[in-house]
Amino acid sequence: MSVRLANRELPTDPRVIARAMRLRVAATPRPLRIWYSVLLVLCLVGAVGAVLCLPPGWEVLGTRPSFEWGILISAYVFFAITTSGLCLASSLGTVFGIEMFIPLEKRHAILALLCLVTAFGVIALDLQFPVRMVFGAVLSPSLLSPMWWMGVFYGAYLVFLIVEVLSMFTGRWQLHRVACVLSSITAIVAPTTLGAVFGVLSSRPYWHGAFTPPAMVAAAMLSGTALLGIVFSCVHRFRLAGFERVATLAIPAIRLLLTIILAVTVLVLGWQTAWGLYGDVPGLSDATAAILVGPLALPFWVFRVFMGLVAPLALLALPRTRTPAGLFAASCLAFAGLFADRAIFVSAGQVAPATAVAGVLPSPFAAYVPSLVEISVVVGALAFLALVYTLAELHLPMGEHQGHLAGAFLGSGRLATDAGTAPGTSAGGEEPTGSGRSAPLFDGSGGVL
Amino acid sequence: MSDTVTTGAPEPGQASSTLSRRRVLQLGLAAIPAVCGAGLLSGALATSDDVVRGAELEPAGGTYDPSAHDWAFVMDTTICIGCGRCVEACKLENHVPEDPELNRTWVELHVLAKDWTVTVSSPAGGADGTPAQATVPAVADAAVRNAYFVPRTCMQCENPPCTWVCPVSATYQTADGIVLVDEKRCIGCGYCVVACPYGARYMVPAGDTTPKGVAGVVDKCTFCYQRITRGLLPACAEVCPVNARIFGDRNDATSAVSVAIDQKRVRVMKPALGTRPRVFYTGLEGEVD
Repeated sequence: MSVRLANRELPTDPRVIARAMRLRVAATPRPLRIWYSVLLVLCLVGAVGAVLCLPPGWEVLGTRPSFEWGILISAYVFFAITTSGLCLASSLGTVFGIEMFIPLEKRHAILALLCLVTAFGVIALDLQFPVRMVFGAVLSPSLLSPMWWMGVFYGAYLVFLIVEVLSMFTGRWQLHRVACVLSSITAIVAPTTLGAVFGVLSSRPYWHGAFTPPAMVAAAMLSGTALLGIVFSCVHRFRLAGFERVATLAIPAIRLLLTIILAVTVLVLGWQTAWGLYGDVPGLSDATAAILVGPLALPFWVFRVFMGLVAPLALLALPRTRTPAGLFAASCLAFAGLFADRAIFVSAGQVAPATAVAGVLPSPFAAYVPSLVEISVVVGALAFLALVYTLAELHLPMGEHQGHLAGAFLGSGRLATDAGTAPGTSAGGEEPTGSGRSAPLFDGSGGVL
Repeated sequence: MSDTVTTGAPEPGQASSTLSRRRVLQLGLAAIPAVCGAGLLSGALATSDDVVRGAELEPAGGTYDPSAHDWAFVMDTTICIGCGRCVEACKLENHVPEDPELNRTWVELHVLAKDWTVTVSSPAGGADGTPAQATVPAVADAAVRNAYFVPRTCMQCENPPCTWVCPVSATYQTADGIVLVDEKRCIGCGYCVVACPYGARYMVPAGDTTPKGVAGVVDKCTFCYQRITRGLLPACAEVCPVNARIFGDRNDATSAVSVAIDQKRVRVMKPALGTRPRVFYTGLEGEVD
């Protein structure tokens, strides 16, 4: 008995699988084996943390009533906006037809899907009763709740992404185009709704306001673009499938997009901070003080401002670092800085509560230290994302299909002809020439395992 | 067009797993009654939840009509002595966890300085009273204009933010205005804890003492709903030695709470948020939230 997947015969007998895996592992290049081993260990650590998170009421998280949302919520927000950002970045090419943003869209879509699954996994571990949520959201919905709408939009987004990925790999381009449009629309709506989850809370002045949802979209664009920068730099470095198009189109496009969105983020952050300094709004001015000179000052100035904004902008601007390696460094810094940004955002809304909570008066600021369990879950989630994406990168046909490139322009027959001349592609609707693995690191047989 | 969705062409003579469109449709159709069945099951659970709700709404005697009542508290800060008996009684009556950081009700000491700044303290939620040495050091030597104890609890807002943020309608408002939590529907997301402007909610940890025998759900003051629907006072009001917690029905013009609201200068906390609390205070000064 066997199944076929992506033109490969996969055995189902456990002994055959075990033997095949041993052979594959033995044939795997050493650096890749180390990479897989590290990720597997981290996934295991995350799995242990996840198991400890499951029993309701176990106080394994560092949260308290005065600081109810911790780093798991930050991680959820981070992954959720990253998945939206990935789709938004790719929509510039797939939906709006801007030629330089016609991406290697398989990577966008797979990354977006993985980030969304990771986000759902993290939020499920933060919830005390995740299964109830599924039934409760359907059977007793609260239409006034932004959290309910967030679930609806991200749920729809998951469906659209699955259709987008499946149609991409099965060559159903009409369906694919529709899925691209729908997922792009949802990719804008979903993070704004996520922003509204925080923005509607008048009890939390730092979060409250119409400013929060669009700021969430800006953060989404930054994180999604930064992740693309990391991936495309790796594709270029390791000469993976389609690296020629990465060099000529994707890397310049990502550099441009990253520069713009970093500049936008600087403005958003600057005004957000200035807003908090004006007047003496309880909760808002206290939170701003906590960020600038209080308990959040170190992560804010070091990770958010310097590492997440100043350094990436410098790397993108300086002539000497306008290289794929420079883009890789800038993207990594921006991506990590964005995680810090979301953690600061979630914390700032709670760090200066304007009232006692369940009888406890946080003074001067509410304290929260993530527990080892929370940290292990976040690390495990990142490792899971990296591991599954690495497997997808090396074992799925990542080369762009001609039909896919043609499908990138909605209602336009122009690309169908233009795409044939695009670097690294060939006419005829087959895998582009040169997009196979001519990689020195990995073998050319479509995989390394 | 092929009627079969495969991820690759099977080799002749080899067993291969394929998924026909008909099979996909069959699975889809089979999923519908499965989902409906799960829905009905969950509906049945919801019905059993409603039995719990009904049990609260229709206590012994079965004569309680929630729509006929409008419960409210007046907390008289001019006479509260901060003894903490209310906190202790609440913990006993409602099986609130022993953790001093988890309370349905608590008592704060507000010290109003000459410059109108207010300093608040509440050691162990006021359960053991407020010893002098627990006073915030910053105000120990300050010129004090006034000092008083402020009993705190859920405000049972007429426009409660906690109910509309709940994604699964687990927290809801009864006809008599009390905001309750359905522990069988709560998913433990903590959104209502974050949304409450008065800090009245907390997540129940696992342990021997849980208000409704369930850990991982949100808990809050219910004005002792199990008592008031039987014609009793909330536990905190029952044990208050100085009657600083005046409880009653605003629909009854002669009730102590109606008289207090009419005749005393009462105010609510954070009126600008538009939550319209059902807990009123007398004797508050300065900026108190």
